[in-house]
Amino acid sequence: MKCKRCQVPAVVALPSHHTAFCRDCFLVFARRLVERAIKEHSMFTFDDRILVAISGGKDSMALSWQLKELGYTIEGLHIDLGIPESSPIARSYTERFCAANSIPLHVIETASLGLAMCDVKRRVKRPICSVCGQTKRYLFNRFAMDNGFTVLATGHNLDDETSRLFANVMRWDVEYLSDQGPVMPAEKGFAKKVKPLYRLTEFETANLCFLAGIDYGYAPCPYSSKASFPIYKKLLSELEDIQPGRKIRFYDGFLKDGRQGFAPRGETSVDIQPCTTCGYPTSAGECGFCRLKAMMNDEG
Amino acid sequence: MLTQQIAVLGRPVRRNMITVRIEPENRELTLDRAATVTQLLHKLDRKPGRALVIRDGGLLTPDLNLKDGDHIIVRDVGSKG
Repeated sequence: MKCKRCQVPAVVALPSHHTAFCRDCFLVFARRLVERAIKEHSMFTFDDRILVAISGGKDSMALSWQLKELGYTIEGLHIDLGIPESSPIARSYTERFCAANSIPLHVIETASLGLAMCDVKRRVKRPICSVCGQTKRYLFNRFAMDNGFTVLATGHNLDDETSRLFANVMRWDVEYLSDQGPVMPAEKGFAKKVKPLYRLTEFETANLCFLAGIDYGYAPCPYSSKASFPIYKKLLSELEDIQPGRKIRFYDGFLKDGRQGFAPRGETSVDIQPCTTCGYPTSAGECGFCRLKAMMNDEG
Repeated sequence: MLTQQIAVLGRPVRRNMITVRIEPENRELTLDRAATVTQLLHKLDRKPGRALVIRDGGLLTPDLNLKDGDHIIVRDVGSKG
C-alpha cells in the first residue's frame, strides 16, 4: 500500500477517506482536519487563551499536541478524580506529557473538595458516569471562567460525537439535539466550548499519537462498563465497516441540515439562573455540583 | 511440523508461529502465523480501523505480510471511559 500523496510505503490506511498515508503525510492530513474544524466553526484565533481539558488519554493528548504545534496559546487542566485504579496513572501520563511539551498544567483534585469519585460512587444513587461528567463539566467551566480563558477545548472525536448524536436521536432528545455540535458559544456564566478533533475518528487520533510519539494512558475507568455510549459507538463502527465514511456524513449532515429542525421555537422552558451557593449558572436554585458537595461533606 | 525452536528477541518462538500482545490489557498470545495483517486481525476478531498493528516500533497496514517469529502488538483504540 502506497501513500496517496508521495507514493512511499504507507503506514496508515483510511478506508473512510479511500486513502493511505506515510507518517509525514498522515500528520499533514490530521493537521488539516483540525485546521478545517477550527476555521469552519470559528472556534478560536491566535489571540485566544485556550484551556485544554487533558485526561491523560489519547484524544486530549493529541489535541494538546496539535494545537501547540499550530502555535496556539494553550494551557492544560487535568482533573484528578480520586479513583485508585485509574486516576494516578492518568495523572502521571498527563504530567509527563505536559512537561515534555512545555504546556503549563493545572491540576484539580476532586478529593480535596470531598468528591473523590470512589467515595461519591458509594453514596449516590444516580449512575456514577452522570455524576462524574457533571462534576468535570462544572470544574472545567469554572476554572476557565475564574482564570480568564476565552475558550475551553476538549478532545471529543468523531466517534464520541456520532455516538452521542445517535443516542440523542434514539431518545428523540430534542433539547440535546438542538445544541449538539463542535462549538458551544459563551453565555451567561458558561465559557465557550470547542471540539477541534470532531472530524478525526479515534483510530485517527490513536495513529496521530503513535506517529507523533505521544505516550498516552490506557488505564480505563473501572466504572465505565455501565456507560451506554460504547454500545452506540460499536454499532456505528459496524456500519462504518460496511459503508466507509458514513460517520462523518451522518455528523456533517446533522450540522448542515438536521440540527436547525430542533432549534427552540419561542421561549424555552429552561430558566438559567446563578446558583444560590456558587453563583455559576444552573436551572435549579442550587446547582448540582454544590448539592453534591454539600451532601458528601454533610455525610462525610 | 512446528517443532523447531528459534529465538526472537530472547524468547523462543516456534516456526510458523507469531507472538501477539493485545493492548491495553497486555495479554500475550502465540498463534499460527497469519499471512497478512488483515488475516491476523480477523483471527483476533478485530477490524482494521479499530486497532493499531505494530511491529518493530512501526505501524503496519492491513495488506502487509507477516513473518515467522514476528512479535506483533495489536493495540485497540476504542476508549473505554
